[in-house]
Amino acid sequence: MTQPQAVETPTDLADLHGVDADSIDNMYLTFAVGEEFYAVAIAMVTEIVGMQRIMSVPDVPKYIKGVINLRGKVIPLLDVRLRFGMDERPNDDRTVVIVLEVDDAPVGLIVDRVSEVVDIPTDRIDRAGAFGGGNASSIVKGLGRIDERVAILIDVPVMLSNADLDLSKIKVD
Amino acid sequence: MAAEVETTSEKTTGGALLRVSSDKIGRLMDLVGELSLSVSETINSPELADLDLMGFEAAAHRLSMIVREVQDAATELRLVPVGEVFRRLKRMIRELERETGKKIELVIKGDETAIDKLVADRLYDPLLHVVRNAADHGLEATTADRVAVGKSESGKITLAAAQVGSEVRIQVIDDGRGLNRDRILKKARERGLFGPEEEPENSAVWKVIFEPGFSTAEAVTTLSGRGVGMDVLNQTMKDLRGRIAVDSNPGEGTAVSLHIPVSLAFLDSILLRLGEKLFTVPVDDIQEIVKPGGSDTVSISADHDTEMLKLRGVFVPVCRLERFYRGMRQELKPLSQMVAIIFNTANGAIAVPVDEVLDRQQVVMKPLTGALSSVRASWGCALLPSGEVAIVLDCERLALESAR
Repeated sequence: MTQPQAVETPTDLADLHGVDADSIDNMYLTFAVGEEFYAVAIAMVTEIVGMQRIMSVPDVPKYIKGVINLRGKVIPLLDVRLRFGMDERPNDDRTVVIVLEVDDAPVGLIVDRVSEVVDIPTDRIDRAGAFGGGNASSIVKGLGRIDERVAILIDVPVMLSNADLDLSKIKVD
Repeated sequence: MAAEVETTSEKTTGGALLRVSSDKIGRLMDLVGELSLSVSETINSPELADLDLMGFEAAAHRLSMIVREVQDAATELRLVPVGEVFRRLKRMIRELERETGKKIELVIKGDETAIDKLVADRLYDPLLHVVRNAADHGLEATTADRVAVGKSESGKITLAAAQVGSEVRIQVIDDGRGLNRDRILKKARERGLFGPEEEPENSAVWKVIFEPGFSTAEAVTTLSGRGVGMDVLNQTMKDLRGRIAVDSNPGEGTAVSLHIPVSLAFLDSILLRLGEKLFTVPVDDIQEIVKPGGSDTVSISADHDTEMLKLRGVFVPVCRLERFYRGMRQELKPLSQMVAIIFNTANGAIAVPVDEVLDRQQVVMKPLTGALSSVRASWGCALLPSGEVAIVLDCERLALESAR
């Protein structure tokens, strides 16, 4: 797995920069999908846009709903609900697209709603290895504790890879 | 030679030449693309639909014209004379003379022909292989051989470039022995490319010299004969959306022609609709567009319901995009209710049925990256002036991959 962003190794960065509460490397954009609360590293996020007209394309996984034309850039949209095996839901006025830049390629995540940008210091992130069996290809990078809530930190490159979320396999492991 | 071009342009424009990084030009091209899309979005806005706006219409028309001119001017920024590549090859000829011991005269024609810098940068290697082949195999082995058949002592290799429509044609012509039909045919039969009794047309025989790993040279020299050069040529031409043609006459020489689009940024294409999805194909790839009649089609149940379309007495295999691509509509419309696009590919003609042929348009091409890289048989995606996105079909790969 390529590690395109410095935020992939937060522990090393903490050593370099000291514990800096304002460091962008500890900043995450949180969003809701169903009842669950997720987060992606803010360094990857380029913008957040409202729902646009989606044009469907052939030969892509089901969870890629199509592409949008964002000011002359063609951006594929990944429906997070479909990717996580949740039920599809009609878009409403809070449905938004989080546009990310991953490995020099843009991708938009369709999520139910965005909530806020939060600071999650490295020492408040619990490794996901405990339930992923140390599986390097787990979509969940860790669990971030924010006050009373927990945000599930997503490994975006893994989410974009075609590796299917095979829950049965994880149980066997 | 290019220096001449530069001095003349300096004289005519009266300005000095600027060195600009290609990133900046790329950025400008992107912005011009965005500008043109925004303008067409504004002008075609549904909110204006029922209004009677005389002055606006005129201004909007003028704006569109200017945008088109800006687009053309931006495209031209990236064009360079092909002479730059030719000059590098000229140096190589001296080396080839030393290595082969043959006298070679190089003639250059049309070196001021303009071509996309991105294309020019990739032309040298494939052209070098063609020139090497011409010097090594094309020209007669010794001066005596040439004089014996009444030719001049030094062999002649011509590098010629010319713009033909939206394509640039680059030719490497030698006045040597010409291709040996018997030898190529023998080798092709050994490799099973032709049947033992088959007597294909010359053009089909010449084509096989571009097959991967195909070389008829008796000895592998440092120059050529390893069959690798042609692979490089094939790959580059594929990347540049170009095609190769060969013409040869025994005793008179061989001409290899490379046809390449002038610009990689814009594509002259035909827009197609199938279900709710849009596809587009380079205009030059389309052989013809037909409306199949009910009695023109045969379905072969014995071969996974393969469909064939009868075209002037010849059956052409039908390639259904609904079957080839994932995520298309499931039910297959009868061919008689569709329009069939006929592509002439290296693997023979194929018929691709679509619901509708929409328009001929200049489109901006974008590569398929990230989550879209799984799309097969495509050059990229195209941004249409309407703001919509279409997949650019690569009919060669479509024919190849759907045959599997």
